Amino acid sequence: MSDTATQIQEQITANDVVLYMKGTKEMPQCGFSSRVAGVLNYMGVEFADVNVLADDAVRQGIKDFSDWPTVPQLYVKGEFVGGCDIITEMTMSGELDTLFETNGVTYDKDAAEKIREANG
Amino acid sequence: MTKDKREGGNLIGVSAKKMNVTQEIRTRLEAAFAPSHLDVVDDSESHRGHGGYREGGESHFNVAIRARAFEGQSRIMRHRAVHSALGKDLVGRIHALSLDIDV
Repeated sequence: MSDTATQIQEQITANDVVLYMKGTKEMPQCGFSSRVAGVLNYMGVEFADVNVLADDAVRQGIKDFSDWPTVPQLYVKGEFVGGCDIITEMTMSGELDTLFETNGVTYDKDAAEKIREANG
Repeated sequence: MTKDKREGGNLIGVSAKKMNVTQEIRTRLEAAFAPSHLDVVDDSESHRGHGGYREGGESHFNVAIRARAFEGQSRIMRHRAVHSALGKDLVGRIHALSLDIDV
């Protein structure tokens, strides 16, 4: 494994929820990253954010690691969940709630319902 | 070769070169999945001034595709199938690709 792949593997092992994104959760630098970080923030999910714009090796490395061409990318318990489209669909369908419950990730169910009501 | 034929040949060359990204996406997805429904929208203008925007568009695309080929596949598998059908070269040229995939 390359150094970058090792680094990514360590990040997704050490943290239950990791979002690879452009910018930070406080200051996203891209609309798609902003949307996913916004959902997680709103649902009160504790997650580690990795700003790919701060490190060119990670920016390319995460694409290779996941075999996925775009950012953001969400990992839960070391498993790749998807990018912005998939997370949006899973939020609306309730699959994201189920995923968090299955993996013992704490989240605010009422907040998730509010997102669905506001966007349904 | 007569002059007329040469011009004809040139015209074909020009039109092939000018196949834009929207058409390329459409052609590759039709070939791979024989979709019952396919929308390819160049949404670049709505991202003007944001990251990845470039003059002339062709940077942000919204694709909605419906095909039986996706039956029984997970969300990730469907997205991977579309990425693969488009190819690394084309995906690499697009800044953002929003996919709505279903059977």
